[in-house]
Amino acid sequence: MAHLILDKVSVHYDGQPAPAVERVSLDIGRSDSGRGDFVVLVGRSGCGKTSLLNVAAGLVEPAGGLATVGGKPITGPGSDRAVVFQNDALFPWLTARENVAFALRLRGVSADKRARRADELLSLVKLGDAGDKRIWELSGGMRQRVGLARALAAEPQFLLLDEPLGALDALTRERMQTTLLDLWAAAQVGVLMVTHGIEEALVLATRIVVLAPGPGHVVRTFETNFGRRYAAGEPIRAIKADPAFAAARAELTDAIFEGEAA
Amino acid sequence: MSVSTYNERPAAKSGETDGFSVLWSRPRPKRTVFSARLVSAITILALLAAWTAAASLQLVSPVFLPSPAAVWAKFVVVARDGFVDATLLQHTLASLWRVFAALIAAILVGVPVGLAIGISRIGRGVFDPLLEFLRPIPPLAYLPLIIIWFGIGEPSKILVIAIAMLAPVALSTAAGVRGVSRERVDAARSLGATRAQVIRHVILPSALPSILTGLRIALGAGWSTLVAAELVAATRGLGFMIQSAAQFLVTDVVVMGILVIAIIAFALEFVIRRIERVLVPWAGRE
Repeated sequence: MAHLILDKVSVHYDGQPAPAVERVSLDIGRSDSGRGDFVVLVGRSGCGKTSLLNVAAGLVEPAGGLATVGGKPITGPGSDRAVVFQNDALFPWLTARENVAFALRLRGVSADKRARRADELLSLVKLGDAGDKRIWELSGGMRQRVGLARALAAEPQFLLLDEPLGALDALTRERMQTTLLDLWAAAQVGVLMVTHGIEEALVLATRIVVLAPGPGHVVRTFETNFGRRYAAGEPIRAIKADPAFAAARAELTDAIFEGEAA
Repeated sequence: MSVSTYNERPAAKSGETDGFSVLWSRPRPKRTVFSARLVSAITILALLAAWTAAASLQLVSPVFLPSPAAVWAKFVVVARDGFVDATLLQHTLASLWRVFAALIAAILVGVPVGLAIGISRIGRGVFDPLLEFLRPIPPLAYLPLIIIWFGIGEPSKILVIAIAMLAPVALSTAAGVRGVSRERVDAARSLGATRAQVIRHVILPSALPSILTGLRIALGAGWSTLVAAELVAATRGLGFMIQSAAQFLVTDVVVMGILVIAIIAFALEFVIRRIERVLVPWAGRE
């Protein structure tokens, strides 16, 4: 069981009077057998969700506290923690397959080996026949699937998702949520995700961390099991229709807007 | 001749043909009689007709304005028999060789310099002022100095053209590098890319559309520097040919040479746009 741990992490950007995040602790676990944690950060704008994700990614250096992965301090980005961004950040000069194979190419994996692996991952995200497509020929949802497959190709221990469904339309978004759950189950990764979607957080998370701004701090943590129920075979619509789901949503919404000037 | 060439003009990128009036007018079913291309063709034909009329009515002396027919006849003669000891093809190849040698030199120096400006503060500090200093100087101004330093041989001519090309190549590369999306670089790093791999696999391809635009501008700049470069001690080249002709008042060769230079510049532009479409089909589609 490896852990990605943020221990009382603060973030303070150059030229900003106040820190963006103050003393936030997170713990995302994963194991080689079974599912890891699926931790979702929610909160109003400016609460430092993305800052925390970037600390975990190694893209932002914390001003205080310690970020570790597997017990070792995080000193920079690494393929053990692959990031997927809101705007896919795919490479348009490569085909979908070559995008997915990017991490393998960096490691010097032979061309046909990485093509085979890329095709496997593309089928995993249900894009098995889109390998030769150019990025601009794909819809927004398909691009995000390619982005996810590309991240998984690095064989990360942790997936860091920065509003990966934020730019998608509502229907695509709903479909992508189950895709994410399927991947989480298949890839044995721990997930840290940032989202604005309250329902999305409930559907996906094993733990929801609610942040509030000024500077960013944790106001509440919820343990949820709707994602695990889906992974155990329950249909997503039945889960969403469950009165417990509605109750959890009301509670989460209250927590997010708690303390906001009424 | 020039009319048919003009008609083969590529429609640039779709949607780029006509900026303002396309944005301004309401979209409507296509029933336009006068397309922009047709108007262009008519303009050229009208100018040719005016030229022919002025020449055949002897409004001005043929020394000043030879008729189109005379220019065409001269084209045939020079293409076959040559002018000042070289055929038109040899003059053209001499000029093309200089411009392309200069282009290669400008790429070899300009792309790394632009990369350095784009990714490193030190690189920007070192090269930015140098380029800004070099950029506005007309080639004719530094030509004498280059001849003092490097003599009157072929290297001097190529160098003059290459210097004119350097700034557009380097500055376009730098602009392309600075425009690379942060997320793309971060994504590559989080997939395990080293700094060198980020440059090679993300920054350079991202900057490629901008670099190609720079090459297009550089070719234009180089081609217009050609005549200056061939001012001194050349024995071949289109610029040399025009100047020799001018000294003997062979105006039809002068006009013919100008037209050949224009047509080649036009053809080069066409070729680069083709290359752009093949190499960077994603440009403008993201």
